[in-house]
Amino acid sequence: MSGHDVLLSAHGLAVDRGRRRVLEDVTLGLRAGEALAVVGPNAAGKSTLVQALAGLLEPASGEVRLHGRALATWPRDARARTLALATSREEGPDSLSVADRVALGRYPHRGPFQPLGANDEAAVARALERTGIAHLAGRRLGTLSAGERQLATLARGLAQEPLLLLLDEPAAHLDIGHQLQLFRTLDDVRRRGVAVLAVIHDLARAAQWADRMLLVAAGRIAAEGTPAAVLGSEAASRAFGVRIRGHAVPALPHLHYTFEEAP
Amino acid sequence: MNRRARSALPVLAGGLLVALLVATAAGSVSLPFRGVVGALLMKAGLPGDAAALGPAGETILFTVRLPRVLLAALVGGGLAVVGAVLQAVFRNPLADAGLLGVGAGAALGAVLAVHLGLASAVFFALPFAAFAGAMTAVLAVYFIAGAAGRASLHGLLLTGLAVSALAGALTSVLLVATEEFRVKTVLFWLAGGLEGRGWTHVQAGAVFVLAGVALLGLLGRTIDVLSLGEDEAASLGLPVRATRLGLLGLASLVAGACTAAAGAVPFVGLMAPHALRPLVGPLSRRLLPASFLGGALLVVLADLGARTLSTRFELPLGALTAFVGAPYFLIALRANEGRG
Repeated sequence: MSGHDVLLSAHGLAVDRGRRRVLEDVTLGLRAGEALAVVGPNAAGKSTLVQALAGLLEPASGEVRLHGRALATWPRDARARTLALATSREEGPDSLSVADRVALGRYPHRGPFQPLGANDEAAVARALERTGIAHLAGRRLGTLSAGERQLATLARGLAQEPLLLLLDEPAAHLDIGHQLQLFRTLDDVRRRGVAVLAVIHDLARAAQWADRMLLVAAGRIAAEGTPAAVLGSEAASRAFGVRIRGHAVPALPHLHYTFEEAP
Repeated sequence: MNRRARSALPVLAGGLLVALLVATAAGSVSLPFRGVVGALLMKAGLPGDAAALGPAGETILFTVRLPRVLLAALVGGGLAVVGAVLQAVFRNPLADAGLLGVGAGAALGAVLAVHLGLASAVFFALPFAAFAGAMTAVLAVYFIAGAAGRASLHGLLLTGLAVSALAGALTSVLLVATEEFRVKTVLFWLAGGLEGRGWTHVQAGAVFVLAGVALLGLLGRTIDVLSLGEDEAASLGLPVRATRLGLLGLASLVAGACTAAAGAVPFVGLMAPHALRPLVGPLSRRLLPASFLGGALLVVLADLGARTLSTRFELPLGALTAFVGAPYFLIALRANEGRG
């Protein structure tokens, strides 16, 4: 976990919600251009991890570092220009238009008073283009499907032009076509050096997309490594309570996974 | 942005101008419209002819009608901007200044001033006490909510309810203990109205209302970011708690000044922004100016109705806005829930 190209790292991170400890002893690192999938059963602490990595939750112990510097010491706007968060729990006003919603992603660049310039508009247009929702720019959020709203949230994150994208279940409401589009978009931004950490429920999809996988169970990291290594581990079977099998299929570049209830 | 959104501001401004002129001319003594326009033009240093007005008409225009109509516009505009800001901050399209204890606190302050006999002895004591009461209530809400570790939106709302109820209880105890001949003063004030307001009221109100509204307008983009919700706003680099408290403070200042000037004028802060949002969208840079104009228009017309609907007495302004606002609220609530 050493080296200059580590963008984001957590060191012995513990997080409490109220009096309950929901995350304990998490250490991880994320490099430029890397795709890290965070998987785990419900209530394992995945969303908490993402929020803590984004600096929205105060760690009970340990720390998060961005570019090697403690996240808590970053000025808010500089942090928001470097790291973007998009969750499936967005709450924007229904009457807000998609273009205006995405343009709010320029807030860390322009602050409260500076008017948006040509490069801001270009960033917004690019974000709409890459998420495939340019045709929805004039629509109001309240008239969109859950999946389209989610893509608008991702577009807001892209408009921030961050080096790091933290995504909490980005594919939650997307149909298969939009899912493929989403992961193509993520690969596209990764090629530009952006690191992407995404909580993903669909294990097969996660394995297909990610360079590395992190299994979180009961608030701790239960396994870490290549998707094949993590999904093939005893820890994964135990965490989900299922039997996971990876099958090599001649025509496929990756393993094909099947899941069965454990006996 | 579509054509409707673009034309909303000029249409509202034009409508307000016409309403201001009509409201200035109409009343228990009806002034000739041409004379009113002429006198106003002359006052502004433009060529005009006030002859149709006569000296008595001119006195009515400049010492009675004009300050009252302008104060109505100021109060309506201020309350509507406050409503728009609170609806964004609380992410509830039906929020209003009443949530923060402004109305209940102002009422307590006013009753206290009347009870102590200050209201009749000291000029401006009643509006000042109302303003102080509103600010005290809002501060109490912040500090109690903050001390209980509930600076969350939910905590603020519930604390606002509790503080309002407490202020209401104190108000009724004081009312019972107040001599009967004084009770009428406070009842008139509580019902909301602009009878007998002059230039001093306009000046005092304008300082707070216009300054507060201008500051809120400057913070438009910050308000927009906050309306995305706590997590998203924080992830965009906004210090959420401090921003929220600052905005609520400014909003309370404006609402307190409006309530001090006109008593309780309910539902204006809810109706104007709620009705205009579908037209101009939720972004503050359009919604706040539109709300100011729309709220001003609403209260200028309501005050015109209060003065002219009955020939025997003046109707309470607050009752008129409530007659329109309460059904509006119920219909909006139904539509809001219908969407699930």
